[in-house]
Amino acid sequence: MSSRALVVPGIGAGALPLGAFPLMLIGLLIAMLHAVGAGRFDVPWPRIIEILWLRALDPTGHPETMDARIVELVRLPRVLLAALSGAALAVGGAALQGVFRNPLVSPQVLGISQGGAFGGALAILLGYHGVVLLGMSFTFGLLALVLVGLLARINGRTEVLTVILAGMIVGAFFAALVSVLQFLADPNSSLPAIVYWLMGSFSTATWPRLGLAVPGMVVGLLMLWALRYRLNLLALEETEARSLGVDPDRERWLVFVAATLMTGTSVAVAGVIGWIGLVIPHAARLIVGEDHRLLIPASALLGAAYLVLVDTLARTVTAAEIPLGVLTALIGAPVFAVLLRRHFTRVGQP
Amino acid sequence: MKTKFALAALCAFAITPVMADEIRFTDHEERIVTLSAPAERIASIPIPMASTLIAIDGRTERLVGMNPTAKSAIVEGILGRIFPEARDIPSDITAPNFIPNVEELARVNPDLVIQWAGRGPDYVDPITNAGLDLMTIMYGTEERTREYMTMAATAMGRPERIEQIIDWRAAVEADIAARTATIPENERPTVLYLLRAQENLRASGTENNYNAWYHMLAGGRNAADDLIGGWSDISVEQIAAWDPEVIFLNSFEADLTLARILDDPILSLTSAAQSGRVYKMPLGGYRWDPPNQESPLTWMWTANLLHPDVFDYDLRAEMRDAYRVLYDHELSDADIDKILWMEMQGGMAHYDQFAAR
Repeated sequence: MSSRALVVPGIGAGALPLGAFPLMLIGLLIAMLHAVGAGRFDVPWPRIIEILWLRALDPTGHPETMDARIVELVRLPRVLLAALSGAALAVGGAALQGVFRNPLVSPQVLGISQGGAFGGALAILLGYHGVVLLGMSFTFGLLALVLVGLLARINGRTEVLTVILAGMIVGAFFAALVSVLQFLADPNSSLPAIVYWLMGSFSTATWPRLGLAVPGMVVGLLMLWALRYRLNLLALEETEARSLGVDPDRERWLVFVAATLMTGTSVAVAGVIGWIGLVIPHAARLIVGEDHRLLIPASALLGAAYLVLVDTLARTVTAAEIPLGVLTALIGAPVFAVLLRRHFTRVGQP
Repeated sequence: MKTKFALAALCAFAITPVMADEIRFTDHEERIVTLSAPAERIASIPIPMASTLIAIDGRTERLVGMNPTAKSAIVEGILGRIFPEARDIPSDITAPNFIPNVEELARVNPDLVIQWAGRGPDYVDPITNAGLDLMTIMYGTEERTREYMTMAATAMGRPERIEQIIDWRAAVEADIAARTATIPENERPTVLYLLRAQENLRASGTENNYNAWYHMLAGGRNAADDLIGGWSDISVEQIAAWDPEVIFLNSFEADLTLARILDDPILSLTSAAQSGRVYKMPLGGYRWDPPNQESPLTWMWTANLLHPDVFDYDLRAEMRDAYRVLYDHELSDADIDKILWMEMQGGMAHYDQFAAR
């Protein structure tokens, strides 16, 4: 175990840590540009540039033609929301993995996703959409987190293992509640909506919805960015961290709250999109190493680019929208299997 | 056009079943259903079947159990006003997901249970294991609809009744088909039917799709023809690319109104919205979108809207005749206005033809 703990505070674990950032940034920009140009409705590139140029000249105007509305009101908010969600989910996963010193941890482990899924499904069952769905999804994600906190806090202290177990319990409980809702839902109306929403999609992205998602995700991202030094210490053994003057309990909960903000918001606006928080941090670690000062921004850039690409696939390949959760799992599971094999052959036995 | 349905109405309720022999027929899972006498207590697990049974029998007494979703549709719709006693029919024989509750089924003691075909043993075995007589039905096409309606009528010992209902379906279908046959391809409007629209947008390809079938019957083309397979979620951008000339909204989503299309920045620019050809499917004795006992009314409504220059069915008169036969009920003008959503869509293109005169 000590061999890994020693690696963490060190900086040069990756091959080309800093040089990789411009490349990742350019990759993200290309992915987003490509996404704005791609779609089922044919808008030629010169026209897209004209549309964007006209909007830049007159930022307060309103698009009148179909192609302008598609670019400005459908594709732009969708691409931005996908990028933001991808960054949030990846960074949330990276931070949680650091805190738990466990590469298999993701927002699902704390029950946040399941709590958020229950809140959103309940909103749909009750006939609410939009802001109410958002609010309920976030609230129940937070409730799941608080429940985990209450369950895991024993004698005024919270051990990592108890948090994981409590997260599993709370997650399973909310997953069961989601099943209850699906059982109760009207197969004519709310059931298909719940099932589709749970599979994840950005198809309902709009500027107002992006506006609702920005605060939670940006605050969460900034919190974890601010905590990036602390994350390195939290990744140490509990006793080592305490000896270095960190209060692991308090800092850990700050990370959890940040992750909940981002996960709850993302579940609310786009349903449950799995695998991003698991696959992307691993890929980022291969590029920049274990240091959270580099890992957090690298995860953000890679996660954003990855989800933009996957969403572009989901909405352009066929006339029907492919559910995002299906695609991320189909791509994520095999990629993760390969990464895991490499990880263990590289790290070797503890 | 007046269908022969109106004349038949006069004698429909005079005929009573006279069968004493054993009843035998084959259901949609090739099961031989044998009943010693016409079923007097029928429990229906599929949703649309409950109101179909009421229509076939012209009364509710033989329906002893139904799907909770079917019951809410009946209680909230016009059938609940025509047959107030339907409120007391048990609906706990199944969960909305069609998994039978055998204890409750045994309690209402039906002599026939109707269940979906082709969904596997979990859906039918509990019923047969409990020793109850079972008939399974397959959903989807007009042909199957007529088959399962006939099966139900046979089980109820009402063959004369189903003949009348199916003759009506065949006559209306033939009449519409004859008049759309000569309409050239480029004069057939592209039609988009949205099974879901409130949050996600859901449409279907043409193959094995009932809605696409009657849109084509009525002289339209399926705008979503390039969707492969059944119901799929689509984006507003895809609808913009299809640019349908007519949009029909489902009647399943109770809160769904035309504003969903007319106020949407993208969908409001489609040809359908620009020309005012956006309509919500009526909700009568059952929802008019899927196959049901009132389907010929759906086809006439659709034909009048797709080709107002070709079709001029007196829909209000046809509805009155149909409700007299199906439910022995005299529709008021207010009833009809409500079924057709006149208040919401009376001002849409070609819709004033349905207004009361």
